[in-house]
Amino acid sequence: MSKRKPFPTLPDTAPTAKKVWKSLEEKRDPKPAAEAATKEFISPISLTRRGLLGFGASTAALATSGCLRRPIEHIYPYTKAPEYVIPGVADHYATILPRRGEVVGVLVESHEGRPTKVEGNEEHPTSLGSADVLLQAATMDLYDADRSTDVREKGKKSDWAAFDKAFAAILKTSQADGGARVRILSRPSSSPTFVRLRAQAKDKYPHARAHWFAPVAESGSREGSRVAFGQAVVARYNYAFAKAIVSLDADFLHGEQGALHATKGFVRGRRMDRPSDPMSRLYVAEPSLTVTGSNADDRIRVAASDIDSLVRALAAELTTRGVELGAIKDVVATAKPPEGSEAFVKAAADDLVANKGKSAVVAGRRQPSHVHALVHAINTALDNVGRTTSYAPVVDVTEPADLGADLKALADDIDQNKVDVLIILGGNPVFDAPGDIKLAEKLDKVPTTIHLASHFDETSEHCTWHLPLAHELETWGDGRAFDATYSIQQPLIAPLHGGRSAIEILANLTDEAPKGHDLVRTTFRERAAVPSRFEGAWKTAVRLGLDAGSNSVQFEAHATLDEVAAAITKAPLTKPITASNMEVTFSPCNKLHDGASANNPWLLEVPDPITKIVWDNAALLSPTTAKALGIESQDVISISREGSPAIEVAVWIQPGQADNSIGLSLGWGRQNVGRYGNARGFHVSPLRSSKSMDMLDGVKVSKAGKTYKVVQTQDHDRMEGRPLAIDATVDEYKANPNFVLFPGDRKEEVDIGPLHRELERPGSVTPKTQPLWDRVKYEGHKWGMTIDLNACTGCNACVVACIAENNIAFVGKEQVFRGREMHWIRVDRYYVGESEENPEVAFQPVACVQCEEAPCENVCPVNATIHSEEGLNDMAYNRCIGTRYCANNCPYKVRRFNFLEWRGPEGAQQRVQDMYQDIPETEKMAFNPNVTVRMRGVMEKCTYCVQRIEEAKIGARRESRAIAPNEIKTACQQTCPADAIVFGDLNNPKSEVSRQNRSDRGYALLAVLGTHPRTTHLGKIRNPSPALRKHAKPSEVKREGGSGETPK
Amino acid sequence: MQIFPRVLNKLPLYGAVGGVVALLGAIAVPWYYFSPKNLQVGYEPKQPVPYSHRLHAGQMGIDCRYCHAQVERAAHAMIPPTQTCMGCHTLVKADSAMLAPIRESWETGQPMEWVKVHKLPEHTYFNHSVHVAVGVGCATCHGRIDQMDVVRLDQPIAMQWCLECHRNATPNLRPKDQVTNMSYTADKAPAGWKAPDVHPPTNCSGCHR
Repeated sequence: MSKRKPFPTLPDTAPTAKKVWKSLEEKRDPKPAAEAATKEFISPISLTRRGLLGFGASTAALATSGCLRRPIEHIYPYTKAPEYVIPGVADHYATILPRRGEVVGVLVESHEGRPTKVEGNEEHPTSLGSADVLLQAATMDLYDADRSTDVREKGKKSDWAAFDKAFAAILKTSQADGGARVRILSRPSSSPTFVRLRAQAKDKYPHARAHWFAPVAESGSREGSRVAFGQAVVARYNYAFAKAIVSLDADFLHGEQGALHATKGFVRGRRMDRPSDPMSRLYVAEPSLTVTGSNADDRIRVAASDIDSLVRALAAELTTRGVELGAIKDVVATAKPPEGSEAFVKAAADDLVANKGKSAVVAGRRQPSHVHALVHAINTALDNVGRTTSYAPVVDVTEPADLGADLKALADDIDQNKVDVLIILGGNPVFDAPGDIKLAEKLDKVPTTIHLASHFDETSEHCTWHLPLAHELETWGDGRAFDATYSIQQPLIAPLHGGRSAIEILANLTDEAPKGHDLVRTTFRERAAVPSRFEGAWKTAVRLGLDAGSNSVQFEAHATLDEVAAAITKAPLTKPITASNMEVTFSPCNKLHDGASANNPWLLEVPDPITKIVWDNAALLSPTTAKALGIESQDVISISREGSPAIEVAVWIQPGQADNSIGLSLGWGRQNVGRYGNARGFHVSPLRSSKSMDMLDGVKVSKAGKTYKVVQTQDHDRMEGRPLAIDATVDEYKANPNFVLFPGDRKEEVDIGPLHRELERPGSVTPKTQPLWDRVKYEGHKWGMTIDLNACTGCNACVVACIAENNIAFVGKEQVFRGREMHWIRVDRYYVGESEENPEVAFQPVACVQCEEAPCENVCPVNATIHSEEGLNDMAYNRCIGTRYCANNCPYKVRRFNFLEWRGPEGAQQRVQDMYQDIPETEKMAFNPNVTVRMRGVMEKCTYCVQRIEEAKIGARRESRAIAPNEIKTACQQTCPADAIVFGDLNNPKSEVSRQNRSDRGYALLAVLGTHPRTTHLGKIRNPSPALRKHAKPSEVKREGGSGETPK
Repeated sequence: MQIFPRVLNKLPLYGAVGGVVALLGAIAVPWYYFSPKNLQVGYEPKQPVPYSHRLHAGQMGIDCRYCHAQVERAAHAMIPPTQTCMGCHTLVKADSAMLAPIRESWETGQPMEWVKVHKLPEHTYFNHSVHVAVGVGCATCHGRIDQMDVVRLDQPIAMQWCLECHRNATPNLRPKDQVTNMSYTADKAPAGWKAPDVHPPTNCSGCHR
């Protein structure tokens, strides 16, 4: 018998081919990576003699435990059945979830009163049916077992009655001097009820003062709009209509407010159904590689502090091209762009002028106010107002311009003994506050401090009273979305731990009864145009989750150029960032945002979209800077700055990072949040300064002489250097619409043998082997999926949606290190190009592709994975005996094995490495009852959400109708803000999936193996500026896979 | 000297025959006695209230869907809430000692603790609504409930039994208006009625998700 050889996959590497790589290590030396790819799991097993005996004993014990009769089970029906609740049929309620400082409209699925899954609300302009990582993980926040359950007084258990009594007494005393010694510290809020109640409290306690603080604030953009327009507004961009987009340090596709809406629009402006379709061009200048930056057509690395000089230079370039910027022209006339960005600025200016009225310039949240003002002026001058940009008023006009300064003012007042009562409504200011404020010490000096928070956290420890905050799914509330849509938050479940909401606490300072429902209704009543129609309007608003038409307050605003010019004149340029003047930037974490959900294991374990790090954050350094400092990934460095304590943080060398700029992410390093989040990552807030919250120059970096194990998934699940994520530029696409094909490939019918005759789909390489079995002709339904790489922004929302829908276990950092993560869908991130400093990026979501000729099925000894007549690669968990042959034989590396009982005591220890015995009862409430919770020793994988397919089929059969063409949505598809994933029936010519499947960009992943995947990927198109173009000529386009060696 | 008695000469024969019998027994006994048919069919647990289907559904002729109201809409046919019982029993036999647990449940809000009779195998999803929608009669799976004082498992709820029908459903289908008719038999089908072609799933994901 001849020795088995791997299937020859690729033509020999063409010298001009693009280089595609997953990590710096792989690019520099592909050999170890290729070797590692042959081992799917890192399993450093070392079994001692005692361990072996123990293992044997436990096996024997297990063998007998199966010999029990099935226990008696009980059925507990309702006593009084709630109306409209049908046991076993999920209800959906519209509500809002405040995330990233804004509200997003969602639909929440509820099983017999138990919220299990969050989806976007299609009616709501903020989500348009999609949801992001934070929203998808919101149910796990609700069921967090470490949430605070009790009122506490000085750390000791108390109750609400005691607090109410004490609070009433405190307020009574305070009323004497008009509340002069009362302070309220809250997060910036878009809730009209909150703002209304605070104003009422102000009437009752005229001398009380409000303060605002949030670790991630919109101060710069608010103040910038105040300069430009004379009032604070929220800018809203219509990216679908913009042909040229210039983003200046703005991660508008992921980290900024309105990201879901922005993503929908951005992707719509780039949808390429045929080569002639128009496509927008995105220029990004930013310090760290963000989701937006990785979707850029042209990206440049600029330190955050240098964006200021870049935007001035851009304004100057625009004026030379005849854009009327009034007084600004003289102010910016001498502006010089940061070194190396000259060509970028010129190209961007050219495109903006060429697309006047169809362009958009966006500045990032952390940029100072005058940068925002200048950007508003540029948009006005480019005639974009009313076309690609519009503005909406802010809800809370009293919010100060600088939240850092506001918190400092509070701290100073405490120092001067001016504060007796401090009410902290939400947030964790002790943890989040800049280091120079030393808030913890200050809080200890205040006689009475009241802290409303979801966890007994770092702030609660320093407060007299701790009050449990109810989750947003437990209480009434309201909010205005970024486009001013008035939205209502309705609870789906009574507070699990008896918590209250911020408005209910605040109401104690007014004459209104502290009942959330009534408070929100009162606000709604006050704004109702016709009081007699109030009830009907209220009911409609609650049902929809929003008050339709309430966003009509949007307006067009034109920037006052003189004011902007004055603001720029007053703001001197900072010193350029160089090796002797390094900067740090603070960004909200791509997963945890500001850390309010820091105990959410789903978020902790989902890989960062860019770095692919799990369970940690890290300081991001560019390869050049790291080399200059002699630092390598996983070294711990100490970052210090005058006036702030030094912090220690592990380094991750990140392609795309600006030189001499260190990227730090917020929300990590919590010490007191719960079993999953404690002591994860590094706490970076102490380095921040109340003067400049988001970026600081003049920092000093030194090696701490330690290393720290950072775990990431980017090297997992290698597909051994085969051509995977395929991309091309628009010009290449126009020259060759079938760019996804291999040279010499055909689209026409091919005949490679008597058993095999079919139309080869575009992109497939003619399989060189004959299939093992007769090809099946699928009558009836033929489920399939397309994933458009051109749309995918890499945000990871699909991964968390899949976790929530399919009861996917989390496994902990150590187990991820061993390659045992359980995510059914992963978003592979590839770097493209030779540059280590600023590579292009391609994202590729990969889940089980449901091969028609599935290699996994042929090797299963027990038929646990077999094909259905609709072409699904079914997985019967109770048949699986765990040989793992299927995973070994899967070329896509999408099968996941339950190495441990992740939900049992053993798994719990592995997950969090401590003594928690079982998963908490509340976590079990998050399970989707329609999906099996898998046990140890079985294989699992993506099933195309077969539970949703079956539900739709049953529904159609029940109603005696056919399934509508696009009726079934998988969890990943439903949540995708970019609409990159499309699922449906390939046999139904009316379905969107069959249309996309025929796209000339479509290719089957690893088609050469003859697996005939049901999932088709659509190639990515880039639209780089011709002026900046450095790529190969269209005729020379060749494809190569990753840098792993071609198996021979 | 004769150590072994002569009778031992036949030992290999006895051993062989005995071995074969034991082996057959080892297969046949578990085959029959450990099958769902033997272990489960006939399961007739005592319920907290001796509710009689014979009385309610049989003699009084209350339609199945009066209590199992969601059977046409949901996966679960639904065990009725205490409310449904109290709908009649506030007036009828309002003081019956046998109904004390029902009244207690109604007053305290604590649910009734009915004992589950029809247990699906683990990792299996079953949907009542679709079976009712295509015309599988209640009695087909549950037997003559209208003749049972205590609910008894009538059919082995096991994969083989499910698949027998899923592979050939036609004999088990009836006109939709006959679904709750307990005494329906195939010969009572109206003239010209033909069982629909329903194609029930026989693949794993039809039931295992």
